[in-house]
Amino acid sequence: MSKRNWMMAILASAGLLGATTTSSVASATANNAGSAAVGGTLTISNAEYLWTCGFNPFNPSDTGLSMGVIYEPLMFVDTLNNAKVTPWLATSATWSDGNKVLTFAVRNGVKWTDGQSLTAADVAFTFNMLKKYPALDLNTIWSVLSSVVQSGNNVVMSFKTAAVPYFYYIADQVGIVPEHVWASVKNPVAFKDANPVGTGPYAVSNCTAQNVAYTRNSHYWQPGLPKVQTIEYPAFTSNPPANTLLSTGGAQWGGQFIPNLKGEYLSKSPNNHFWFPPVVNVSIFINQTVPLLNNLAVRKAMAFAIDRARVALIGEYGYEAAANQAGIVTPTFQNWLDTSELGSAGYSYNPKTAISILEKAGFKRGSGGVFASPQGKRLSFTIINQSAYTDWVAALQVVSQELSQVGINLTVENLSGTDYGAKLYDGNFQLAYGYEAGGPSPYYEFRQWLYSPASAPIGRPAATNWERYSDKATDELIGSYATSTNSVTQHQILNKLENVLLQDVPLIPVTEQADWDEYSTAQFTGWPSASDPYAQPYAWVTPDWEVVLLRLRLK
Amino acid sequence: MRYVLRRLVFFVVTLFAAMTTNFFLPRLMPGNPALAMMARFHGRLNGQALVAMEVAFGVNTKQGLISQYFSYLGNSFTGHFGTSLTFFPTAVSQVVFTALPWTIGLVGVTTVIAFILGTLIGMIGAWRRGGAFDSVMPPVFIILSAFPYFWIGMVSILVFGITLGWLPIGSDYSYGLRETLSWSFAGNVLEHAVLPGFTIVITSIGGWILTMRNNMVTTLSEDYIRLARAKGLSPSRIILDYAGRNAILPNLTGFGMSLGFVVSGAILVEYVFSYPGVGYTLLQAVLGEDYPLMQTLFLFITIAVLVVVLIVDAVTVVLDPRTRSVS
Repeated sequence: MSKRNWMMAILASAGLLGATTTSSVASATANNAGSAAVGGTLTISNAEYLWTCGFNPFNPSDTGLSMGVIYEPLMFVDTLNNAKVTPWLATSATWSDGNKVLTFAVRNGVKWTDGQSLTAADVAFTFNMLKKYPALDLNTIWSVLSSVVQSGNNVVMSFKTAAVPYFYYIADQVGIVPEHVWASVKNPVAFKDANPVGTGPYAVSNCTAQNVAYTRNSHYWQPGLPKVQTIEYPAFTSNPPANTLLSTGGAQWGGQFIPNLKGEYLSKSPNNHFWFPPVVNVSIFINQTVPLLNNLAVRKAMAFAIDRARVALIGEYGYEAAANQAGIVTPTFQNWLDTSELGSAGYSYNPKTAISILEKAGFKRGSGGVFASPQGKRLSFTIINQSAYTDWVAALQVVSQELSQVGINLTVENLSGTDYGAKLYDGNFQLAYGYEAGGPSPYYEFRQWLYSPASAPIGRPAATNWERYSDKATDELIGSYATSTNSVTQHQILNKLENVLLQDVPLIPVTEQADWDEYSTAQFTGWPSASDPYAQPYAWVTPDWEVVLLRLRLK
Repeated sequence: MRYVLRRLVFFVVTLFAAMTTNFFLPRLMPGNPALAMMARFHGRLNGQALVAMEVAFGVNTKQGLISQYFSYLGNSFTGHFGTSLTFFPTAVSQVVFTALPWTIGLVGVTTVIAFILGTLIGMIGAWRRGGAFDSVMPPVFIILSAFPYFWIGMVSILVFGITLGWLPIGSDYSYGLRETLSWSFAGNVLEHAVLPGFTIVITSIGGWILTMRNNMVTTLSEDYIRLARAKGLSPSRIILDYAGRNAILPNLTGFGMSLGFVVSGAILVEYVFSYPGVGYTLLQAVLGEDYPLMQTLFLFITIAVLVVVLIVDAVTVVLDPRTRSVS
């Protein structure tokens, strides 16, 4: 106990203790069968926009093409496997000084595609560039960082406060760029980066607005990898051609929603498979400042009145599971779920309970069977939704029918994406259907949902916590999670947060948003699956798609 | 001369009005480009990214709307169209010039084909009024022109692209190909243009037939046609040199206008066939609230139409002496 700076291994995001601090000398990816042949062309089919042929990893339009296969993270965090950390460009990460200092040891022997060596200076440069240009700092890591300095082969990051969960954003979400290229870029925000120099397994060999072709980087630092020679990534501007390419075997990896999956894809070949692991909740966000909705009885009644299984079946064709009121995405984060609390709260579909809750709270049925408050205010609400998401439109029709059965009138307002966003962020809504970005543990969603300092007053855009939930004790709980890397403590905190969702109903999780992933085993094997969830399988998730591409083997 | 001057003044006033509308109309839409980007990457981006993108796009700059308007006018005249936000950080001019050849190739060529075919069918129909040709061709194409573009497009994708598998179902050329100057590449581009081109031709041909046939019918009852027949001229000479030449005048004006509109692309056809032309780009610009790109595209379309109208006016002055006598 003499040393105050006791060192501690991290598995920060999930807080699982006992991870390795020693540098992993071997290849970062498992299953590195060095003997398998190199070759083949993998085509990814994804309905998206036309490519700009820019590869700036800090530009949201280009991240999906560059982060991972060209620019690599310090460490890879597997969202689908208990936030398991795999060392990548850094060989170790160590928290010290009460989880306020994070030290990365940068891997030796990694070369940029122009032949120069990766150094700790490159890493420090990358992070300090995000400080200088806030437009690049998509996860606002500099809201908690105070300095990033190089120290020999290490990079030392100091934080303003303990910030354990930020490990995920820092280690997994920031692509490291070469100082010798980017230092001379005048404005990295408007930098297109048409000829990217990275450390990743692939280099761009050809790019047009409709297709990006990547070729294997034969000097990649993980020996013998990657095994797939060429990647073709066509840009489809709408779903049907992308679906056709997939079902005819022209593409081997797809990441889009196919309504009739069985008939349109699975039945076409025995090699066609899918895996849709859920990652976040799609919820009804309840604006806490709206009269009547600030009444707990109304919120609870709604939570009882919605048959989540039916919504999932009709709205999402059963490909997305029903969510639970505890807000834990299952089976992905099953071990975080406080099943006894969820069980005793008893939020299963029960319209009778919903009605009796309202009656007990003094509401009376009025005209059209709609409940009204003792002051005569009708329980009639509007929910905003995105019209482009046809599955959500269908889901909300079901919700609306179900609520009307318990005497709550719900009008669905299907809006354009921008209109929806403007209303959502500014808090100009009563109810909103949507989801927040998740992370490698349920904590991330809970922080986005409930942390009041990250919200904003009505009329001003809130980055997160759109329902404007505000509770001191909850804020403290979320704050305390950030100070601990202890798994037991983290689980205790999260159980309490689940309880907030169950008792206070600030939002109603309805279905679980999944990663869309269709893949063919005709030419390649080694795809992620429920039994081997080594990375998120959706081709748009970075840097996970790199991890998938490194695992693939020619059949 | 006064006529041409008057047209020039009209040109300048219209251009100015159009540019002003171009500027203010998109800004009446709810939201801003950063919000549009958030909507596009919904779920992939943390809520905090909104702040970063507003900084990148310069959304919350303190510059007032009026001063923005004047710098926009200045930039438009000097050809500085700025940076596209949907295709950030690509320059707007580059986005437009990448899309323009595809649209001119597809919509331009099909407009000419539809005009020539429609005019011919109209002429022949009027000449053999009431005959078999006249009772089949014009009605069929006029009915077809009542169908929406995108519906014909989707049906032809289903039939020729998927069920029969004869033709590719979309995009400009096969995605794996490299842009080279070779016959095989050109063939591939042509093959991809067949279905969208076919869709545009068969839905737009009806209009040309209708006007041409009606003009022709009127012209054919003129005395000089009777004289030509009496002289024993061959029917083909009467159709082309006597009746057709006069009947085509009003159609030429229409043709000029539609050539101007070629620049705007065929939004629905380009969308259905994933064809990367101006129409598709315009759609993306609107969805992304990409003010610089929208303004530039609308400006191009306006200028193209106005210039063509100006040319058509001038040509009419040359072709038709009656327009000259107005002044």
